[in-house]
Amino acid sequence: MQSTTVSLRRVPQGRLALWLLIAGELIIFGSAIVVYLLLRLRYPEWGAEAAKTHLSLGAFNTLVLLVSSYFAAKAHEASLKKLKGKVLRYLSLTVLCGLIFLGVKSYEYTEKISHGYTFTSPKLVEAGQGAAALFWSFYYFLTGLHALHVLVGLIAIGFIMYYVKNNKHFHRVELVALYWHMVDLIWIFLFPLLYIMQ
Amino acid sequence: MATHTQSFWTKYIFSQDHKVIGAQYLIVGLIMAAVAGFFAYVFRYHLAYPDAEIPLWGTLDPRTYNMLVTTHGALMIFWVAMPILVAAIGNFLIPTMLGTDDMAFPFLNMLSFWVFFLSAVVVVTSLFVPGGGFDGGWTLYPPLSADAYLNTNPDFWKALFSGGSLVILALALEFASMLMGGINFMVTTINKRARGMSFSRMPILVWFMNFSVVTFMFSVGPVIAGALMLLLDRVAGTGFYDAYRGGDPILFQHLFWFFGHPEVYVLLFPTLGVMGEIIPTFARKPLFGYKFIIGASIVAIILSMVVWAHHQFVAGINPYMAVFFSVGTILISIPFAGIILSYVATIFGGNIRLELPMWWAVGFLATFLIGGLTGLYLGSNTFDIYAHDTSFVVAHFHYTLFPITFFGFFAAFYYWFPKYAGRMYNDFLGKLHFWGTFIFFQLFALPIFFLGLNGQPRRMADYTAFETLMQDWHIQFREIATISAILLILTQFIWLYNFIVSLWKGKRVSSDNPWQANTLEWQAPSPPPHGNFEVYPEVYRDPYTFGVVQVNGTKRDFIPQNEKLPS
Amino acid sequence: MNIFPEAVSTYAHEMDKLFWLITLFAGLGFFITIGILIYSLIRFRYSPQRKPMTFRGNTFREFRWVALGMALLAFADFYVLYDEHDTWDKMMQSVPEEKDLHIAITGRQWNWIFTYPGPDGKLYTADDVIINEPNSTIHIPIHKNVVFDIRSVDVIHSVFLKEARFKYDAIPGRTITKWVQFHRPGKYELICAELCGVLHSKMRNFIMVESEEVFQQWLDELYAGTNE
Ligand SMILES: [Cu+2]
Ligand SMILES: [Cu+2]
Repeated sequence: MQSTTVSLRRVPQGRLALWLLIAGELIIFGSAIVVYLLLRLRYPEWGAEAAKTHLSLGAFNTLVLLVSSYFAAKAHEASLKKLKGKVLRYLSLTVLCGLIFLGVKSYEYTEKISHGYTFTSPKLVEAGQGAAALFWSFYYFLTGLHALHVLVGLIAIGFIMYYVKNNKHFHRVELVALYWHMVDLIWIFLFPLLYIMQ
Repeated sequence: MATHTQSFWTKYIFSQDHKVIGAQYLIVGLIMAAVAGFFAYVFRYHLAYPDAEIPLWGTLDPRTYNMLVTTHGALMIFWVAMPILVAAIGNFLIPTMLGTDDMAFPFLNMLSFWVFFLSAVVVVTSLFVPGGGFDGGWTLYPPLSADAYLNTNPDFWKALFSGGSLVILALALEFASMLMGGINFMVTTINKRARGMSFSRMPILVWFMNFSVVTFMFSVGPVIAGALMLLLDRVAGTGFYDAYRGGDPILFQHLFWFFGHPEVYVLLFPTLGVMGEIIPTFARKPLFGYKFIIGASIVAIILSMVVWAHHQFVAGINPYMAVFFSVGTILISIPFAGIILSYVATIFGGNIRLELPMWWAVGFLATFLIGGLTGLYLGSNTFDIYAHDTSFVVAHFHYTLFPITFFGFFAAFYYWFPKYAGRMYNDFLGKLHFWGTFIFFQLFALPIFFLGLNGQPRRMADYTAFETLMQDWHIQFREIATISAILLILTQFIWLYNFIVSLWKGKRVSSDNPWQANTLEWQAPSPPPHGNFEVYPEVYRDPYTFGVVQVNGTKRDFIPQNEKLPS
Repeated sequence: MNIFPEAVSTYAHEMDKLFWLITLFAGLGFFITIGILIYSLIRFRYSPQRKPMTFRGNTFREFRWVALGMALLAFADFYVLYDEHDTWDKMMQSVPEEKDLHIAITGRQWNWIFTYPGPDGKLYTADDVIINEPNSTIHIPIHKNVVFDIRSVDVIHSVFLKEARFKYDAIPGRTITKWVQFHRPGKYELICAELCGVLHSKMRNFIMVESEEVFQQWLDELYAGTNE
């Protein structure tokens, strides 16, 4: 006998667990962002550093993530009707967007690093601008942590695509889409904080 | 029902059965307790006899002393109390009390354990890496823990495989494991209750387990972010906590204590849950203030998020802010006082069977009361200026965390042992164990209050440099504390012997419900098989129907939750 | 055996009084609760004939005793806060206008560094005198408002003068300004109360509290560079 036949089962468990996971993740990111904001208020000179970020590439990446979220939502919609082909197509588009995002991000990183704005920015420290260097530490910390989540999301989508291909676990498309929306949401907070707030 | 045969590996090692996983957490937790307890013996011995050679150890230099103290604290909280109180007790009891076969996600449950196991391996490894184990205090305060002031361009791999970085990594793994486990607990509670088990009929322990993991989930985020930044300071040379590069060491203290204070409640809640089951059963009386206890806990959880800075009264915090946190801190004492008093009220007027688990429950109440009341001294911002970082704090938190962890665990152990082992423990050895633990703990911790009040700072390898801390009575009190601590540790061998012998040779229980309790786990066979119940129970009432009642013509003073009465 | 070290600063006695006030409340709470607990255990021991009470605390009538306990605790809590407020204000919120002596005290691994104002009487000027050695003794005058600028150059330390009930962290990147007034002469140990590394327990300096005249003499010798 399955326990599901004896229990009060009200909420789909996967969705419930994922919402709890998202709550946990948002608290982690939320606290990192609060810390960043507190220091941002302490150091007005961070505005000048934020101006050095690549605004147009950041905006482009924001757009890419928004579009990818749209594809993820579409994939979820298709999964409800178990339309295998459609689900796979939309999920591949989501993955494509994710890869573009990571590609652009790495380009931004290389460019910044070549100008001496690294994780620790020793040049700035030597010039006595320790606080400015700290901005770059936060920049890499926050965007890096986010990029890590993008990567995890891509791997998860990969697994789901494999399942769907074998006509299994269609309901898990919803879960991975939820996770992807969260990744998107976090970026929507990070983008103005790191790129626009000059 | 699960009828398939299982190999040794799937049955005992990579098991997805919540009881086996609970036992696995318990075993790892107990091994870590033995390590942390041994460390305590070594540094307590050194405190009492600073020049002496320590039996089973040798001499102790200040660096190693700091390392042992640091590791003792970190292990006891994160690798003993967390796995035993939250993970082991939660795993054993939540599904059985809810009348179901297993957790909502058995595979995730297994994964949580193995991530936890990995974290334990990493933290033990951290003691043996070149450069030695971490010695910066379990609170990990930078810059001491970050080495940032020396270290702007560290060798990444060397820095990663150093004691401090490995401890941080181990913590991250442990937090991930507990988060996964917590999600499992919550989903199980929401989705897998037996028929008829509404929220208001849930045993209070299940409520408390959920409070525990909710508190954990809402408070752990900041310290995860903070610990990642600390790790980066160590291995990548960033300056998040380096004041010379715009960073702020106090920032970490905020992030840490935002988690650190609620963490105490993460550990307290499971123990309160255990007591909330044991006390009504042995008082033969309904739990007093069931709804009140739930409400008070929720208030306490909310308040616990706004008290953290009481750990920083001496750290240059704005004095007006300090008053705010002081108010929060004393406010939070009120709901907890209400819960403890509710337990006392449950005992009052009962028909009390003083069996062993009840002794532990009473011992918990009495000991924890001292821990709670001495919190008043530290919650007062003014007196805290003096008491902060003295041994008074050490005595205070041992008076809270020791009863929470060990009285909580042993109460649960003796209460549920007949259920999960199917055999009875030796009652005489159990009583000996109780009195030894109770008395030696008081003798160990009480002198430390007085040393602290006399101005003895904590975390000092020895006090020989300070004439005013080497008065005769100081030395005697340290000796009393040390001897009692050693006896306290030795007493635990009585328990270990009792445990092992009873597990194989104990008298088989004649009834599945030896304490005549009402909750569902007592309706399962002893020990419960994989899948727990032969017939899944349906619930008709709350779990605390005690008192003299007439049932089917016989006089009895309890009605199990799943017993259907003829109307 | 005294519970506290001798109280030698202006607010030390107030803090000790606060301790006894809290002890009164905590002691009452402890003995009342333990009393009820022990009474219940003896009075309501198991007997097959006893009919236990069955109240569940769901009505206010049943709940009132617990509510009373909570109310008493709340009263005690707030009374303590109210009572300590003046002391807190004195120690923390108001550094006296009139600084009789202004010294910087800086933690480092593993001793305290003291910076005295030079003959110009002002701190942070070129003629400041710095005392930086383990086990050194500094002197301060009795019955005077001594203001400390507390800071650190490496890790967190904590200035602890237990006889004065004075303790504040020394944090890199910050200056914490606090004051103390001694009213008893003597030589007091200055302890570091925050774990600061391997030799934390050996981080020791002394503060000698003495009369104005003797202090002035010491200060003159310090300026002349002639004291040992
Ligand atoms: Cu706290
Ligand atoms: Cu120090």
